[in-house]
Amino acid sequence: MEENGLARMGVRPSFRDYVRELWRRRAFIGVLATSKSQSRNQNSYLGQLWAVLTPLLNATVYVIIFGIILDTTRGMSNGIAFIVIGTFMFRFFDRSVVVGADSIRNNLSLVRSVHFPRAVLPIAQVLSELTTLLPALIVMIGVSWVSQFFPGQGPVPLDWSWFLIVPAVLLLWLFSTGCAFLVGRWVAITPDIKNLIPFAMRFLMYGSGVIFSINHLLGDHPAAKILEYQPVAVYLYLARGAIADEPTIPQDPVMWYLGVGWALLFLVVGFVMFWRGEERYGRD
Amino acid sequence: MTETDEIDFEIDPEDLEGGPGTERELGEPCLLVDDLHITYRVLGAKRIGTAAADDAKGRRFLRRLLAQGRDQVGSVREIPAVRGVSFTARRGESIGIVGINGSGKSTLLRAVAGLIPPTKGAVYVAGEPSLLGVNAVLMGKLSGERNIMIGGLALGLTQAEVRAKFDDIVEFSGIGDAVYLPMRTYSSGMSARLRFAISSAATPDILMIDEALATGDATFRQKSKARIDTVREQAGTVFLVSHSLATIESICSRVLWVHEGRLVMDGPAEDVCAAYKGFVRAKRRKS
Repeated sequence: MEENGLARMGVRPSFRDYVRELWRRRAFIGVLATSKSQSRNQNSYLGQLWAVLTPLLNATVYVIIFGIILDTTRGMSNGIAFIVIGTFMFRFFDRSVVVGADSIRNNLSLVRSVHFPRAVLPIAQVLSELTTLLPALIVMIGVSWVSQFFPGQGPVPLDWSWFLIVPAVLLLWLFSTGCAFLVGRWVAITPDIKNLIPFAMRFLMYGSGVIFSINHLLGDHPAAKILEYQPVAVYLYLARGAIADEPTIPQDPVMWYLGVGWALLFLVVGFVMFWRGEERYGRD
Repeated sequence: MTETDEIDFEIDPEDLEGGPGTERELGEPCLLVDDLHITYRVLGAKRIGTAAADDAKGRRFLRRLLAQGRDQVGSVREIPAVRGVSFTARRGESIGIVGINGSGKSTLLRAVAGLIPPTKGAVYVAGEPSLLGVNAVLMGKLSGERNIMIGGLALGLTQAEVRAKFDDIVEFSGIGDAVYLPMRTYSSGMSARLRFAISSAATPDILMIDEALATGDATFRQKSKARIDTVREQAGTVFLVSHSLATIESICSRVLWVHEGRLVMDGPAEDVCAAYKGFVRAKRRKS
């Protein structure tokens, strides 16, 4: 059939063509991502102000419960900064995986109306989470800085290391996109997996020390090393190392190498997996 | 579903004057559908027959509960929507697809557009098909303006091209300043018009239209017919699914009649439409 100038439809394109087509749609990804994050806050009187208010309220809750009432962060010099950075970064990852999982099903009408590489959808979903993370990051840094004026909280000095939050967030974003590809494919083909995601996320949350210090709790336990070097914990470490001034979280080049390694590994494996399922999306 | 809905005489053929232009010379084949099968997989659907079994008297409560449980856990039903359709379309042809509700018209159209992967068989195509469906909502929460950008980019235009065509799209759709309101506030006619304007802005090689013309008013129908003619003049192919035989007869030169996922008839518009009308009348008399 090829010789008549007719090409077969619904066949997965070669990897190179797929990547090239995806690159050609980069403007589409950008517009889709910003539209999604805008539409999230549209039906309220305060509108886009909620992009800042929601993280601020979140931070307040964490500070009151964990920093002041429960004091879960014994052994930390500044527990509030520790928890706020942990929860904000983890929330971004958590949201990315959840929206990534639904990326095909939630956009089924788009999938069934127009042709485009479906990898656009998970990428745009995670990117839209990244755009909502940006105002949250400012709140996160602000709250961390203010926290040093609370009684019993250690100093959070202004430092050049604060700029390291940018590469830390970028690496976490790449890693989250990789995860979104993986769960996006699994859920599109077997919807049941979606019900397992919250449990996996809870495991990761407690296993990464989002609201407490793993090292402090586990000490020399053999599992401590695994929990310390698994990807989510690495990114929390990098973000905390950038902003907070904890003696237990020094700048560590090994953590940066791991951060880059995990991000690339998940991104490449996730993308290839997603591409391999391309011709199956949108049948149900 | 009453069969009386099937033929829609609401559209006056005078709205769509000009005729289908059957004399037009046809080009080389641009679409080949080879033994196409589409099977939907529906999760959690009730199995056929269990409803009757549940009503059977003398059933123990526990057994009934188990039978009901079977429907809720791990039930997968395969629904064959298209079963073995083959045809060839040539450049410059406009093809209508008719059939009663649930006969597989829209599924066929989507599969031919490459949007639903075939379960069996294959579709070969030259160029990029573009589907235009009434129920394909872009994003209801976003303004029409935003949707024009998203739709245009999704169709493969660049941002600059979409901006250049923006006024044209708004004017064609005739929705005016409403383009800045969220699409969920639009009437079904307004959003159908906007979707038609977006999808046809890219001048696709193959334009597929799913019921879109039935929603517009008379002026809009005339405008869209003109646009369909433009696509055909540029050696494109047009597919049209509609319940309105008047629309089909005035736009299409060839008609496919689909029933229960199979191709019943494929031929010149007048012949197939006449046969289909006869079929629907006979069916109505029976019921």
